This record gives sequence, structure tokens and C-alpha cells, in this order.
Amino acid sequence: MRDLARSFGSVHAVREASFDALAGRVTALIGPNGSGKTTLMLMLASLLKPDAGQVLISGIDPTVDPVGVRARMGWMPDALGSWSVLTVRSALETTGRLYRMDRAHASARASELLDLVGLRELADRPTRVLSRGQKQKLSLARALVHDPEVLLLDEPASGLDPVARLDLQHLVRQLAGDGKTVLVSSHVLAELDEIADTAVYLEDGVTASVDRIAQARRSARLWRIKAAEREPLRRLLLLRGDGPVTDDRGDLLVPVAGEAAAADLLRALVGADISISSFAPAVGDLEHTLLDLNRTADRA
Amino acid sequence: MTDFLSGAGVVFSLEMRQRVRGVAWYVMLGVFFALILLVTAILTIVSNVATSGRTDTSSAGGGAFSVIIYFVLLLGTLVAPALSGNTINGDRDSGTLATMQVTLVSNWQIVMGKFLAAWVTALAFLVAALPFLVFTIVEGVRPLTVVVSVLVLALELGVVSAIGVGLSGLITRPLFSIVVTYLVVAALSVGTLIGFGLGGLLSQSPTTTRVYSSSSVDEDGTAIECTFQGVQHGTTPRFDRVWWLLAANPYVLLADAVPADPTTDYPSDLFGSITYSERSVQLAPKLNSTRNDCDLSSYSDASTTYQHTLATTTPGWLVGLIVQLVLAAAAILGAGLRLRTPAGRLPAGSRIA
Repeated sequence: MRDLARSFGSVHAVREASFDALAGRVTALIGPNGSGKTTLMLMLASLLKPDAGQVLISGIDPTVDPVGVRARMGWMPDALGSWSVLTVRSALETTGRLYRMDRAHASARASELLDLVGLRELADRPTRVLSRGQKQKLSLARALVHDPEVLLLDEPASGLDPVARLDLQHLVRQLAGDGKTVLVSSHVLAELDEIADTAVYLEDGVTASVDRIAQARRSARLWRIKAAEREPLRRLLLLRGDGPVTDDRGDLLVPVAGEAAAADLLRALVGADISISSFAPAVGDLEHTLLDLNRTADRA
Repeated sequence: MTDFLSGAGVVFSLEMRQRVRGVAWYVMLGVFFALILLVTAILTIVSNVATSGRTDTSSAGGGAFSVIIYFVLLLGTLVAPALSGNTINGDRDSGTLATMQVTLVSNWQIVMGKFLAAWVTALAFLVAALPFLVFTIVEGVRPLTVVVSVLVLALELGVVSAIGVGLSGLITRPLFSIVVTYLVVAALSVGTLIGFGLGGLLSQSPTTTRVYSSSSVDEDGTAIECTFQGVQHGTTPRFDRVWWLLAANPYVLLADAVPADPTTDYPSDLFGSITYSERSVQLAPKLNSTRNDCDLSSYSDASTTYQHTLATTTPGWLVGLIVQLVLAAAAILGAGLRLRTPAGRLPAGSRIA
């Protein structure tokens, strides 16, 4: 995907987005609300024509051959629409039929998917009685009906309970393991941290450059340290002078510049005979990068 | 072709399951049936009272019971917009349109599947009305009239369904597209009459009439001598230029499509009278005429009799059907083009998914 742009009237939803998502990997698409994630997804899903730039899905341009792209791409929209009077099973069968499967094949595939996403017990209930999380599962199953090479998941985990979220993470990792290209968008960074191999940062319709991301990753971030006795720890940290030490829910937060510095700090603390019970970054990798990108953007 | 049909068929069956199972649909069908039952019952009672004491009931029945067919047309064209006017934008609102668009069905398969489903759903109302239409045969309406009426009713429901589905694709908001579909039905049913009247009056042609009248009469009033009185100048409305508007009216179209009884000198029922009027206005008025008050036979004109007019004028139903089919095709075409993906321009305030 190269130099993609799309505007709606005077609103430039996506201005300059470029990235590659590789087969067998989970790529996270990260950005705050309104940053153009869904617009980008719609262009990738062959529903929206870019004003400029080019999309290639499995080497095919959706503006040239939308049918070719659709046969290889599964899209899970952020909006949860379902055919309300159909049962879960017949919704999946109908989707299969829309992908030109014959009746028997569609029915067999629907059964597989019911097990895969864990909707077996609800198979014969109408889709309108499903909860939000169950609809998310149905939506994911629908995107998988024709066993696509490329999966576009727009906010797949919103509304899922922790167990379902773990199931989803497991499933997405498994799909990538099967060699599929998976692009997951979200603004909930913790969930992406756990499944994504690489990340694309989108802000105001522009993807952040690799350099800026690398720089942001290197910048100082807060580490959370938990010790049996807090005051000796605080004294030591202040003595080292890495930066302001703050209290947070019984732990101490201190900025540390990079992994090497963190290792040094931990060695020093252990050397000073302070009993550390927890020593970890206070924010996830993705969140840290995103926040730092935002900060530098604000300064610029 | 079979690929196209099977894709459209999936959309069709999905649409049928989504719509027909609604409770509202059955309620509407019930109300529809009850209303026609009521009108038929009242007509039967009234015509029995009117014809009691007469042995020949057939002509009275034929006249009155064509009203039932019109009533079915009225209710059908009132129901069809509600069934079709939100098929596409309603799906967009509930978030199910885009999930269909990313599959391998094309925009044309979606539109055709939805149109056929809307039509079949509307035809169910015609089926509900069939017992009453058949009943009119018992009351003296010619079977051919009923058969042709049913065919025209089915076509009219198709035209309204096509316009409804088309507008639901072209207009973003479901409520608005349903209302506009009703306005189109109103324009066809009432607007064509107004347009015909105003159009005829707007385009007037000058006329000259040479007038002769009696200058002297004998005792019993018969003219002895006729003299030229002069030339009267006037204008006449040219309804013959706008008659096609009238033909596009569903009620006129239905009346005109029903074959006239070739054995009668005068229209035998409501449809015949309407057809006669519509066919007569196709004839251009005589711009240069002579009026002879002495010769009363000059008033009657063999070229304007019922059978002669029918034989010499254009079949209005054909013209009306072409006008309506063009409208329906344009609506379907517009919706199909709007559903093309990847989408280029989007109308303001709309979302894809």
C-alpha cells in the first residue's frame, strides 16, 4: 500500500498512508479515534476508491479487479450489522453462498466456523438475540467464510470479555501461523501488544515513518518498580537521578531510557540489596510509541 | 448468466427471509384483505338492491365491479412503496449492506435480487386479492377483463417496487426514500391528470369556425334558407399533445389495457368509458371547421364513435407502459450505479459501513 489518500469533501480522512503487511504476520494498525483507521480499512476492503495512491492485496489492485481481491480478502467491519431474523448458522451459510459456494459446501463451512469461534451453542438462535461480544464473533466468522489469505479486522476485540479476548488473540495468532496476512486495527493498545508482530501508526491520516517509530521506542519511558520497602527504594532512585520519581498505587514510577538502562538500573537495585518484587515498563510498547509520537507531533 | 442469477438468487432468498417473516407484513396483508372484503361486500349488497326486480344483472355487475379492480390497484400501489422504499438504505443503516458488498455478489446482483424480492412480496398482496377479482366474474365482469387486469396489476406492482428499490439506493435516508416513492406514486396517479389538464390548456391552438345559420324558417321551425354569418376565431386546448401523460396513469393504463367488448356501440363499463375518453383526446381537434345550425346532422361525426375511435388511435396502455418502464429502469439503473464499489464519490452525510 503506497501513498494512499482519501478525502470526503474538505475532510481529509487519510492523507498519506503507506505500509506493507506481510504474510504470516499480524500487523497492528494503531491510531486514536478519527485518525482514519476505518477509512483506510474500507479502502483495503475494496469498498472505497482511493483519491490517490495504490492498494495491492495479494498483488491485486482492488480498483482494477475488486472480485479478485474479494475472493482473497476477509473483512470484519467495525459496525456490527447482522441479518436479524436469520439464525447464526444460516447467516454464515448465506455468507458462504454470497461467496459462490454451493449449498453443501456453505453448510459444512458454517459448521466449522461455529466451532472455530465458539458459537456452537447459539447456532440456531436468531442473530438479533446475540450480545455485542457474540456478534463480534459472528462477524469474525463471516470474514473467515471463504478462507481468505488476507484478513482485515477493524476493532475486533471491542466489547469482548477477557476470556473471549484471549480466544480471539489465540485465533488470530493461529491464522497468522497458517500463513495468512492479518491486519488488526484498534485504539486499545494493550490488546494489540499481545498479538501484533509489527505495528503501523496512523495519525491524522498519515502513517508514522520507521525512523520516528524507532526514535520513539528509544525515548525514555516510565518503569514501574515494586519493592518490599518503598522508602529505601525511593532514596536510591532519587540518588541515581534518572528523573522525577512518582508514587502510583503503592509502586514507584521512574523514567528509564531504553532497555539497556533498565537492565543497569535493576542490577544497581539488586546490588543495593533492595528486595524487588516487580520491575516492568509502566505502559506497553505500542502505547509508549503512540504517546511519544503524539508528543513529538504536538511539539512540532 | 447462470452465475448472475444464482448470485441474485441468494440475495433474493435472503431478502425474502428478512422481510416476509416480519409481523408487520402479515398485519398489512390482513388489513389489505379485510378492506377489499369490506368494499366487495358493500358493492354486492348495493348492486343487489339496485338490480332487484330486474332480470338482467350482468351489465350492472360489470360496471360496479370494475371498481373492485381499481381498489386493488389503489391499495397495491399504497403498500408497495412501504415494502420496497427502504430495502437498500435500510440495510446500509443496519450495517448489513457493506458486508454483502465485500462478497462476490455484484452491485447489479444485489439490486436485482432486492427488486425481485420486493416485487414478489408485493405480489403476495395481489394473490390475497385474487378471490375477490375472481368473484367479480361471478358478478358479470368478463373473464378476459379480469385476466388482463391481474396482469396489469402485477406489472404496476413491479414498477412501483422497482422505483422504491431504486430510490432506496439513491437516497441516503430510509424515511425520505419511502416518502419520495409515495410521491412518485402520487405523481403517476394524480399528477399525470393535473399535468394532462394543465399541459393541454398551456398549448392552445387558434381555431376558425365558419358559421352558417338560418335566416328564415317556415312554420314548424325548419330552416328554409341558410346564410353565412361570418368567421368565429377562438382557441382550443391541445390535449392531443399531452395525452401520453394520461396514458402513464396506472388507472388509465389498466382501463386501456383491458380489451373493449367489440359488440357494443358504447362503453359497457368503467374501464370502457375511461378508455374512450383517453383515446378521444388523442385525436387532434379540427382547427378549421364549419358549423351549420340548419343541418343538425353536421354535429355528429362518424369518426368519433366508440369502436371507430378505438380502432384508429394508439393503444394508450402501450405508451403508458413504456413511460413507466423507463422510470422503473432508470431507478434500478441509478441504484445499481450507486452501489458500485470501490466507491468514488459519496453523497454528503453517508457512510459506507
